[in-house]
Amino acid sequence: MPFAPVLHAEWIKIRSLRSLLGALAAVLVATAAFSALAAADADDSDPLFSVFFGVSFGQIAAIAFGTTAVASEFRDGALRLTLAAVPDRGRWFAAKVTAIALPVLAVGLLTGFVTLLVGRAVLGTSAPGWGEGVRGAVGCGLHLTLMALFAAGLAAVLRSGVATLSVLIPFLLIVSFVVGDLSGGAADFLPDRAGQVALHSSWDGALGPWSGLAVTALWTAAALAAGGWTVRRRDA
Amino acid sequence: MTSIDVRDLTKEYGGRRAVDRLTFRVSPGRVTGFLGPNGAGKSTTFRLVLGLDRPTAGTATVGGQAYAGLRAPLRRVGALLDARAAHGSRTARDHLLALAASNRIPARRVDSVLEETGLATVARRRVRTFSLGMRQRLGIAAALLGDPEVVLLDEPANGLDPEGIVWIRTLLRRLAAEGRTVLVSSHLMGETAAFADHLLILGRGRLLADTPVQDFIRARVQPHVRIRTTDPAALGDLLARHGHDASRGEDGTWTVRHARVDDLGRLMSEEGVPVLELAAQEATLEEAYLDLTTAEAEFTAQHQEA
Repeated sequence: MPFAPVLHAEWIKIRSLRSLLGALAAVLVATAAFSALAAADADDSDPLFSVFFGVSFGQIAAIAFGTTAVASEFRDGALRLTLAAVPDRGRWFAAKVTAIALPVLAVGLLTGFVTLLVGRAVLGTSAPGWGEGVRGAVGCGLHLTLMALFAAGLAAVLRSGVATLSVLIPFLLIVSFVVGDLSGGAADFLPDRAGQVALHSSWDGALGPWSGLAVTALWTAAALAAGGWTVRRRDA
Repeated sequence: MTSIDVRDLTKEYGGRRAVDRLTFRVSPGRVTGFLGPNGAGKSTTFRLVLGLDRPTAGTATVGGQAYAGLRAPLRRVGALLDARAAHGSRTARDHLLALAASNRIPARRVDSVLEETGLATVARRRVRTFSLGMRQRLGIAAALLGDPEVVLLDEPANGLDPEGIVWIRTLLRRLAAEGRTVLVSSHLMGETAAFADHLLILGRGRLLADTPVQDFIRARVQPHVRIRTTDPAALGDLLARHGHDASRGEDGTWTVRHARVDDLGRLMSEEGVPVLELAAQEATLEEAYLDLTTAEAEFTAQHQEA
């Protein structure tokens, strides 16, 4: 089976669910709004992160998007109908992942640049430079995409949206915040910590902006590989 | 033509055999009813034919090919497995559009199956607002989407209103008349008798019968004649004299086995026995099925004792 029609079908599934469109809108709104609030009350220690502080909230919407898009296939026999139409499971999962990645990447990059513009307006003279700002905006788009795909892979492994969000949300809100502030060492390599280095003006851990995103990409690749393996191996 | 071929098909779930060495062929041009109690393995067999579950042993092919190897499978095989499979937040039309896109089926087919299943007026409503009967129609619309040569429907009459049941019966007859291969599971005897030409009967994962419906009924149940009269004594005497196997029910109705209405009518007329009612009782699929399952249960019991 060719790939394009399968991708087309998966895109129709995404655009026809309001909850998914809502989650994409929430990525933009949450990131920009929380960033603006934080910027208004920022000190000068890290101007770039003052602009992109809201990504911690926006990524929860991105995770909800990735999780819901996959988990909607694991309810009431939906996957059976899907796989009866597309028996090549590897191809189907690749199409699903692509149909998730493209809109999140587009919205993520838009979010990055909107947040940058808002942040610069709020911060005024203490705003980060353009070079650094564009790096942050692109990093924001990539980070949000990777987090959405990480969640998508996990949802395919766990075959449940509730289970996926019950693992990821507490992990991001509690483990990462608490352990992350202790900083240094292993915590820097957690998926969301690593990717967010790209949103900082300065860093003192082992990872820089791009190597940090690369580490998050490895986490995501591992989750997607596990998800793809599960989809291929298990009875539908 | 395209038939479904199942050979030594076996599926175990954690040591329990859901499907046990099934071998059968479903031929085109007729409706094959797939009968058996809940849990007999009908749905499992459907999933195995569609390549959704991996068989423990054996093969299932459609037109000589494994389902997973079909290009654009919806154009060859249409299936209804579970009416709840459509996402409640999607509209009926979007649900079908996504399926159609995956197999390059043009969007006008979506509108035409919506029309055919009577859902055209609710096509843009969210599926969660649908009744079970409407969801069932949507599932059938999805099965017909690719104008397939082979149609597999798992309990399609579930939740349909009487009008819907007549509709599905007519639809199944038409699909078979068009030369398609139609396999329809059910646990409702009356319904199956109304649309099926051929029967596959499953019990605890094993094939109990593979036979035309009429042959099955004739072989299992003797037809009998029902008589009511104002003079039971004369009738009883008459039947006894002619050696008929007859019995009188509590409501005064006589049942005569191994007899024909033609013979009994003439006999009663000659003897002047008054007739209130004289009717041939056709054996039903239900009786034949119960006869089969009773025999099956006795067979199993004997084997366990031995």
